Amino acid sequence: MSTTTADRPPEFQDMHESIRIMGFWIFLSTDVGLFSSLFAVYAVFRSRVALGPTPHQLFAMGPVLTETLILLTSSFTCSLSLYSARMNRLRGAVAWLIVTLLLGASFVTLEIREFVADVTAGHGWSHSAFLSGFFTLVGTHGSHVTIGIVWAVMLALQLAMKGLTVTNRRKLYTFALYWHFLDIVWIFLFSVVYLSGMA
Amino acid sequence: MDGEEQIDTAPTGHGDEVEVGFLAPRIHAAPFPGMQITGYVLSMALTLAAFGLVAYHWLPLSSLVTVILVLAFIQAALQLGIFMHLREARGTAWHLPVLALALFVGLGIVGFSIWIMLFKSGVS
Repeated sequence: MSTTTADRPPEFQDMHESIRIMGFWIFLSTDVGLFSSLFAVYAVFRSRVALGPTPHQLFAMGPVLTETLILLTSSFTCSLSLYSARMNRLRGAVAWLIVTLLLGASFVTLEIREFVADVTAGHGWSHSAFLSGFFTLVGTHGSHVTIGIVWAVMLALQLAMKGLTVTNRRKLYTFALYWHFLDIVWIFLFSVVYLSGMA
Repeated sequence: MDGEEQIDTAPTGHGDEVEVGFLAPRIHAAPFPGMQITGYVLSMALTLAAFGLVAYHWLPLSSLVTVILVLAFIQAALQLGIFMHLREARGTAWHLPVLALALFVGLGIVGFSIWIMLFKSGVS
């Protein structure tokens, strides 16, 4: 099956932009290494609670499910942003991108609220190996989402100012890759850390 | 057809042409975002299923974590395939072997860390 210029998506029309997308996949692969190291640390230290809270005592089901549903929805709206861009609908692309970053911001807000509640209850990250592993793993994901929000704001501005240029289309494509990747990481956080901890 | 095909199928010398069948790109375009909506519905269903398993104790504890992990991997595959357009590339999809290597290394780090710690003391 050979690819022709006609059926190639707009992000891959230009050779250099295609190479940048490939480079972004390589970056995501290194991020897989970062997160799997932190997951390994968490798995090993999960039972080392030092008389402090166990995963079962620390986690609350409600807020975590809300966070998960928010992030899944933001992943969906992000895909609609890229879809609109491919249909050459600039306003749709910008609007869905703004919805995505607002959902991301509410996710981070909920997560920070959860962290602050834990720390004020005396369950800070220096208390036990379990809490160190937990805050490092979940915090690294949360900081990734925060960086993604800043990126989305700048991308929305660039789209609004310059429109669906060759460069902007590639930037939206790589942003979508980043955002969906963070959703995958969260699915594993939700399953391995929260659901397994509450089971 | 017209001359357009000839430009891309002829070797460019840039490694742009497809050499390995598995790495041939697949491109999906549709006038309605049906794939995206399907992906959203499926990911919601998988998440709520995993949550329900834990919240309502539908399974014995021994098999619960395994089932949750399987559901997570299915959902990750959905995100990659539908939302991340995994098979899209300009020519050969060279990011697929890179991702496969990352997955291999990542699973190795997690799996062997847990395995080695099982010897001295219990990892719950």
